Order: sequence, then structure tokens, then C-alpha cells
Amino acid sequence: DIEDVGHKYYLELELEDVLDKGRTVNCTAEVLYHLGSKSTAPDVQLTVQGELRGTEEADQEFYNRIRSLEKELVAENIPDSHGNVPLELEPIHLLAWAASGYVIWQNSTENTEFHLAQVKHVKQVKRSDEDLQFDYVLLLHEMVSQEVIPWEVTVLWHPQHPARVSWDRRQLGHTLG
Amino acid sequence: HQVLRIKTKNEEEVKQLQLLESLEHLELDFWINPSARALPVDVRIPAVSVQSVKAFLESQGIEYSILIEDLQDVLDQEQQDMAESAQRQRSSSFDFGAYHTLDDIINELDHLASEYSFVEKIQIGESYEKRPLYVLKFSTGGSNRPAIWLDAGIHSREWVTQASALWIANKIASDYGTDASITSLLDKMDLFLLPVANPDGFVYTHTSNRMWRKTRSKIPGSICVGVDPNRNWDAGFGGPGASKNPCSESYHGPSANSEVEVKSVVDFIKNHGNFKAFLTLHSYSQLLMYPYGYKCTRPDDFAELESLGRAAASSIRSLYGTTFQVGTICKTIYQASGGSIDWSYDNGIKYSFAFELRDTGRYGFLLPANQIIPAAKETWLGLKKIMEHVRDKSS
Repeated sequence: DIEDVGHKYYLELELEDVLDKGRTVNCTAEVLYHLGSKSTAPDVQLTVQGELRGTEEADQEFYNRIRSLEKELVAENIPDSHGNVPLELEPIHLLAWAASGYVIWQNSTENTEFHLAQVKHVKQVKRSDEDLQFDYVLLLHEMVSQEVIPWEVTVLWHPQHPARVSWDRRQLGHTLG
Repeated sequence: HQVLRIKTKNEEEVKQLQLLESLEHLELDFWINPSARALPVDVRIPAVSVQSVKAFLESQGIEYSILIEDLQDVLDQEQQDMAESAQRQRSSSFDFGAYHTLDDIINELDHLASEYSFVEKIQIGESYEKRPLYVLKFSTGGSNRPAIWLDAGIHSREWVTQASALWIANKIASDYGTDASITSLLDKMDLFLLPVANPDGFVYTHTSNRMWRKTRSKIPGSICVGVDPNRNWDAGFGGPGASKNPCSESYHGPSANSEVEVKSVVDFIKNHGNFKAFLTLHSYSQLLMYPYGYKCTRPDDFAELESLGRAAASSIRSLYGTTFQVGTICKTIYQASGGSIDWSYDNGIKYSFAFELRDTGRYGFLLPANQIIPAAKETWLGLKKIMEHVRDKSS
């Protein structure tokens, strides 16, 4: 408890590589939730103790594959109702997951718990520069309210740069049922 | 009937085809209509017109090829294929490692009931949209023996629960007589299993919205549909942890037991009068919880429930290392009023537990089918631990 500022948490975490189970990396983090502020994202400081797996080759291969597509990639429902993700869409799914992390961070409080429920829709947008652009509609599941919230997210990515969310917006309009 | 594929070379040819299209007496059925776009034109031609259409095309120098020589042959083959496939479905055994439709699930319930003399399918009520609520009764005799209740799928999008319930039903039925624990359990107690507690919602997740959670009841005065069936029980109803907004996923409904899916279970259990355990399956998060949810104080039987919960979680972990957190609903997940196990506990059913199955968020509700059986197997070990304890305490 930090008076007049907010609540600070000191965390010791173990990261597991989803694509290389058994490979773990330790890290420490400090998270500060600001007092009373619903519109400011919590402050996060993270220190990774060790190295993350290099993915240059796979990154380049994915980049080349997408750049050489004749028609822009379009896909929906990843995973599908049965939890399947086609092999060639795995990187698209992982990119969405990374992007959802950013959106979740920006919208989290001490009373929320978000997970990416599904990629509802993804559309590649061809660009004149070197970046790949994907416009996603992500479904975010919020545990406390149990709501599934559609969120529009634009992600830019290039093998040499970390993924970044250039634009995001909670999708308007309510599903009535 | 033949289907021709016509490749037009210019606008003139397209116009000719459009002329042909206008001759209604030929009864031509264009599967792809002639247009300026660079697509081929596919057309079904009744037998009687085939020769004259071909003659016309040839005279105009329009190129075509035969896509389907005899459409009837194709249709006959398709019918045969479908009949063979249906035959295969009926005689083959149920794939417990896959997700199924409601109809397929009901068929499997019928199959289990017909194959095992101590298994009976009973109907305890109807859903809002008038679908039967089917319960499998496992009973080797006696008269109103002390009983255990197990339900799944009260929240329809939690597909691993209905799927696991089916695996568990089959496990219990097939292992009675050979597995010492199941045999001694069913020799003393009855088991009632409701594998699809919310059939309307379940069908909706197949047909319209995979993420649907609630029932499908119309709410007077609202354009939104459905009530959260696990906020609708008469336990702290309307309190914190449930929403009064009909459009919310955790809407508690106009009143306790307003949902027929909930009322049917309440009536059944009250009329039976001899239930000793109430167990319910949800997903996801990997939790094993006991009351209370509507208030954040400990139940009177806290020590025993905590200890039993830990033992069950330990059994679960022994199989694949999957860890379940144990505790009261309020402390473990969140405060939630109107929940089923709070109702059962406050109505004298001491052994009331709610499970949240795999996973912890990677796939969430969309758990890959190849995890159904592992999830069912580990969950069964936890349930068994609890049931064995109940059996020992009830005799």
C-alpha cells in the first residue's frame, strides 16, 4: 500500500516457452496500480533473468511467406469451436496473443482478469513500407464479469522489430443474444 | 442432365449467353451466371435441351467443356455415400475424445441406458425452448438410496464439461463390477448425472455463438436474452457478484429459480430427499471449490471440506501433474451470489463442490478436443476421491 499513490506488487515469475515446454526463464516484476484511476494502465517494470529463445529463422520464414501471398490473408475463428488452429495460422494466433497482452495491460485493474478467448477475425493489410500489418478482432474474456468483449486491434510486425499495437478500440455495439 | 462450363473470350460472347439465359423454355439453371467478370459460366441443362444448346454454342464459336456428364449419376452416388456413412456412425462406438452435438450426446445416453441394466435415462423437466432435461440414473438396487448429484454444462460454452461428463458416465457404467471402488460405491449409493444442464444454450453455441453462457429465456422488458443459471439459485439471490442487468453475462434473472433449468433440478433434488453430495462441473481455471460464494465467510464444515478438497486435488495432480487450487468460491474465484453449490449446502447437502476444469487461459473455453479425455480422466480421480469419502460417511 503506497499512501495516496496506489498498490504496488512485487512478483517473482517463471516464464514457460509455450513452443518449447520445459524451457523456463525466471523474471521479477513490479506492478503499480494507481489509486482510483480507471483510465491509467498500471506501471510495470520487468527484469528477465536469462535469455529468451532466438526465433530469427522462423520469423524470417513467416515474414517471407506472408509477403509472397498474392491475396491478403484473411481468417476467422482461431482457434475454431473445437480448439483447432491450422498449422499455417499458428503464427497469426501467437501474434494476436502478444497483441492481446498489450490491450489487456492497458485495460487491467486489480479487479479484472482478462484472457484472449478467440481471434474472431483477422485481415492482413498490405503496406508500402516493410512492416506486416494485421487488423484483428479479438474476443477478450473477462473472468470477474464473465463478459466476452470484442476488441479491434491493429498490429504491426517485422522480423527485426518487436510487435506493436498501432491502434486499438473496444468494438461498439452489444451482442443481444 | 449435363453441367457445362463455358469460358467466354469477350463481351460479345457474354451477351450471347445472357440471351440464352433469357430463353425460359430451355429451363437452363445457371450455377454461375454470365457476367463481365473473368469467371467461367457454369450451367445445368435439362437432358432435352442439351443438344440444341451445344449446337448453339458451337455455331457461335463459344468454348465449353463438360463439367458433369450425367448429374443424376452424381446425385445417386452422393445418396449412397451418405447412407453408408450413416450406417458406419450407428454401428461404431462413440468418440469420447471429440466434441458432439446435443443430438449425438442424447443418442449416447440412450446407448448407455440400453447397454447397462443399472443405468436409466430419466427426464426431470424441460428447458425454456422445451428441450428435455435428461439425467442418467445409476442404481444397482435398493429404494431411494443415499445419492450423489453430478451436473455439467450449466454454462453452455464450457464444452469440456459436457464432454467429460459423457466420458465419466461411460467409465462408471463400464467399470462397475470390475473396479472395486466404483462397485462398492454403486452398491451403496445411487448416482444421478445431468450431462447437459443447459441444452438451449448448448445448441446455441453450436448454431450461433460459441461464446454463449446463459440460458435462452426471453426477459420481459428487455431486448437481451438469457439468465446466468449459476446466479439464479436461491442462495443469497440478487446479492453481490451477480448483475441485475439483463444484458450482462452474470444476470441473475427476475427471481430465484425463474429459470426452468434451475427449478427442475431444485424440485428433483427436494423430492428425492436423500442427496448427500452435489457436484458441478465448469471450465476454465483449474479450481476445486466449496461454499460459500454469496458470502465471504467460511462454511461450518470448512475443515472437512478443505481437507477433502485438497485430497481430491492431489488425486487430480497424480495423473498428469495438473494443479487445481482449492478453497471457498469467494476466496478462490470471486464473490458470486445465487450459485448452485451454495444452495445445495444450505439445503443440507454437506458435500457440495464446484470444479473448474482445464485449462488456465491458453485455450480457455476452446479447449482442443485432444485434451477432453485427459481432462475427464483427471477430473474423475478427483470426483472419485470425494465420492468415496461420501460413501464412507453415509454408511
